[in-house]
Amino acid sequence: MAMLSEADPADKLSQTRKPGAADRHPQAPGPGRSQDPVPTRIVLALQDVTKAYPNGRVALRGVDLVVPEGDFVFLVGPSGAGKSTMIKLLIRDELPTKGVVLLDGRNLGRLKRREVPKIRRRIGVVFQDFKLLPDLTVRGNVAFALEVIGTKRREIDPAVDRVLKVVGLTGQADQLPGQLSGGEQQRTAIARALVHNPRLFIADEPTGNLDPVISWEIIQLLIRINELGVTVLMATHNAEVVTALRKRVVALENGRIVRDEVGAAYHRED
Amino acid sequence: MLGFIAFSVRRAWRGFWRNGLMSLAATATMVLMLVLLSGMIILLKGLDETLSYVQQEVQVVAYVKDSATLQNIADLETNLLKMPEVSQVKYVSKEDAYNDFLARHPDEVNVLKSLTWNPFPASLQIDLSDPNGYLDVATYLNSQPPVDQVMNIKDTVNQLNTVIDVVRTGGTIILVVVGLIVLFIVVNTIRLAVVARADEIEIMRLVGASDAFIRWPFILEGAFVGLLGAAITTGLLFLSQAPISAFLSGYFRVLPIEASATIGESIALIVFGTGVGIGVLGSYLSVRSYLIRR
Repeated sequence: MAMLSEADPADKLSQTRKPGAADRHPQAPGPGRSQDPVPTRIVLALQDVTKAYPNGRVALRGVDLVVPEGDFVFLVGPSGAGKSTMIKLLIRDELPTKGVVLLDGRNLGRLKRREVPKIRRRIGVVFQDFKLLPDLTVRGNVAFALEVIGTKRREIDPAVDRVLKVVGLTGQADQLPGQLSGGEQQRTAIARALVHNPRLFIADEPTGNLDPVISWEIIQLLIRINELGVTVLMATHNAEVVTALRKRVVALENGRIVRDEVGAAYHRED
Repeated sequence: MLGFIAFSVRRAWRGFWRNGLMSLAATATMVLMLVLLSGMIILLKGLDETLSYVQQEVQVVAYVKDSATLQNIADLETNLLKMPEVSQVKYVSKEDAYNDFLARHPDEVNVLKSLTWNPFPASLQIDLSDPNGYLDVATYLNSQPPVDQVMNIKDTVNQLNTVIDVVRTGGTIILVVVGLIVLFIVVNTIRLAVVARADEIEIMRLVGASDAFIRWPFILEGAFVGLLGAAITTGLLFLSQAPISAFLSGYFRVLPIEASATIGESIALIVFGTGVGIGVLGSYLSVRSYLIRR
């Protein structure tokens, strides 16, 4: 793990995965991978991360995690296991009490205040409750994410059109969130989280409010996004989905990672 | 940059009207304060002009005893002219005084004719270069044997100065209090706007909006309150210009006050500056306490 200490910004592009991570990566064909001349970048790394809240509750204890570019990771575990805290650390809503969180090689704990927004533009986040603005149309909600980071007007419309096509909402572009089904609202939120081309896509219980059929549609969409090259981290309670997809599963319990397996089920199988 | 300004102004404008009732309440109190402010400026300006008029006219008049010789008077004149406060000394003899009176009151000629002596004292009329030197000159004159009496006009100046001080102090206190109330209302108006848009702010944070994008629309919203308040106040002043002029020339009858000049550009500038300043300050304080701690 020594190589994951905070990187100089200059060499963040040259960061490589540690060999162990390569071995269990789903797309890595085992031994052949080690001869791969192109090193895979690490999007996300947590090193010995502990998070204690001021009220004394310790949400994460000594967590180590490496997520290479292009990975699809399910973050599972019972309520209160630390999933939400981990996501708050990743979007730098909270800072770790101890340890280092690296996003794209940048230590989130050492960012200057004005650098925080720029780092957040490398992440897209969706939540269980969608967080759409009710008085803006689908198009307006998606465009909002670009407007508020100062994107030029003429660049906004094509980007919004493109991402609405990805999530399949071109036909509903001018409807208000109140006129949409739950699944369509979540797809709007996904479009908004994607429109600025994030490196890492974080979904916090994205199917928590949706029925099973719609949930599957959302999951399919996330897989599609992953196939487009975006690293996806999804926190979920949905055992059926996790077990069926056989992706990488990181299980948290009482603030510790108790399992990190590729091609795994929701529950331990041995 | 242009996009940022357009974005902020658009959002501020939308926010102002979405938050309509509260924004209008803030604007109304802003107008109240600005009207008080301009009223005080106009009143003080009028009083100041009155004071300088009176001070210009401040002349020390010393009546000379009939027993004083011309030499005494000439010495007195020389000594007075040496004083730095004195710009000019004019000697009015008993005969001049008699003739002056006759010229001004021709009807009284018979009364005067019936007298066997000239009742008017000779006097020295002393113009001051510095009105504040009144007391020194008066004290000096009182100590001189040829001087019978020094006419007391310093009370007028003192009273006027007292009025100006009271208006200035009282007005400033009232303005500060009203200003703080306006500030408080603006802070709360913007706070409500911020809370009402907490979801928007959360989303802006999540998608990586910089602090400026989050903060400036609210600050501009406060500036709108100030701008609208200042515009209404200026409009009110403009409409009431004629009555105010009439009031001023009636109240300060003799004085050379141009009310239209008084309620001119300088007051408009002060009104707009104060309005926008308080609006921006209030919303900045509000946004800072809410947003910056995150």
